[in-house]
Amino acid sequence: MPRCKEAVDDMHPSDPTDLDILEPAPTAASQASSPHAYLSLLPIWSRQIETSRSQTEEAIVALSERFSGIVQRIDAALSSHVQGSQGDAAAEAARSKGDLAMVIDALRAIQQNRNQLVEQIRGLMAYTEELHKMATEVDQIGFRTNMLSLNAAIEAAHAGEAGKGFAVVAHEVRSLSNAARDMGKQISKKVGLINDSLNRIGKTNEEVAARDDAAVQTSDERIRSVLARFEESTAALSESAARSRTESSAIKDEICDSLVQLQFQDRVSQILANVMRSMEDVAQEGQRAGTAAEAEAQAREHAEKMMSTYATREQRLNHEGIQTTAVEQSAVTFF
Amino acid sequence: MAKRILLVDDSASVRTVAGIALRGAGYEVIEASNGQEGLERLAGDKVHLIISDVNMPVLDGIGFLKEVKKHPSYKFTPVIMLTTEAGEDKKQEGRAAGAKAWITKPFQPAVMLEAVSKLVMA
Repeated sequence: MPRCKEAVDDMHPSDPTDLDILEPAPTAASQASSPHAYLSLLPIWSRQIETSRSQTEEAIVALSERFSGIVQRIDAALSSHVQGSQGDAAAEAARSKGDLAMVIDALRAIQQNRNQLVEQIRGLMAYTEELHKMATEVDQIGFRTNMLSLNAAIEAAHAGEAGKGFAVVAHEVRSLSNAARDMGKQISKKVGLINDSLNRIGKTNEEVAARDDAAVQTSDERIRSVLARFEESTAALSESAARSRTESSAIKDEICDSLVQLQFQDRVSQILANVMRSMEDVAQEGQRAGTAAEAEAQAREHAEKMMSTYATREQRLNHEGIQTTAVEQSAVTFF
Repeated sequence: MAKRILLVDDSASVRTVAGIALRGAGYEVIEASNGQEGLERLAGDKVHLIISDVNMPVLDGIGFLKEVKKHPSYKFTPVIMLTTEAGEDKKQEGRAAGAKAWITKPFQPAVMLEAVSKLVMA
């Protein structure tokens, strides 16, 4: 793509033939001694106009191509904006929110399971109380049986020789009752140990649960805070993207308007082409005109011919001497 | 398959603006700089719509339109006149010759595309 300087050079090439056009040919100058001789200058003016017209056209074509390219690039950028970052960021925010909420839910489920475990341990502790009572009862039964065997031994002694066998039985019952009491005490001791152990597990669990509660609470707050910041960033990004889209659309509209404005070159080109044709006609007809009356008649005829060849309203108004700068608005007529 | 449009105008800048807009909208565009060249282009692949200027050298737009309507393959092909001519007489001349729409220059590319889309589907 040529830079500005090169583009300007392209429009004004230093071709020696251009100099020939700018300087009237010596023959034309020498002929300019009568009004008819000035007619020989018309082709020179015509060529100058044609050069300006064609250079303007080249520049306008290049400008139109560039502007149209810009419009297409803006269109592409606008459509990728719509499908791209904004939607992705919003979707990512929603996905992250969902994922983090699942993490918190999982932590809460773990907490709930542990609380259920603590309840089950408390239930076990209630059973150990019952076991302790049962062990105490075994000891009591042993004690009473012991007392009973002692009385039986006394009664066997009172019976003398006849009670000797009974004394042996009473002794064995006493041994068994002592063994039962020992067993009851041991059971009671073991139950006490289990109970202590369960109590410690319960307390440890409660401490861990309290710490976990605090950790889940903190995590929940931090996650909410991160999500809030993320949502703020996403909203700011969306707002910025929306502003960018609005600006791009406005620039696109401006360029589209410029493309319409550039079409005035076509109108100008038509007007100049028409002027050039008229000048060529005048140059040819003027040479043929004899008397002043003939020249006047030719001029009238030429003016009528010019009027019939106009394409734009401003050409007709200019011809009639009415100054205008307004141009018809673009319109579509369907037949 | 893209619809093919023949764009006839002696102004290179108009052909550029209209051509870029039409190609951007997905049409295939064939260009000609006057009516005679336009008729030669019709000898090639099938054209679905024609956009033509009125004031052109060699063969003007109305003359071109009349020739198109004589062509057995193109007598029903919609033709849009895109011109600086805004006079009612000229418009009626275009209508009588078989034009389907008349757009005056300078034109908004979007307005031209809307007219093209209406007529190319018809």
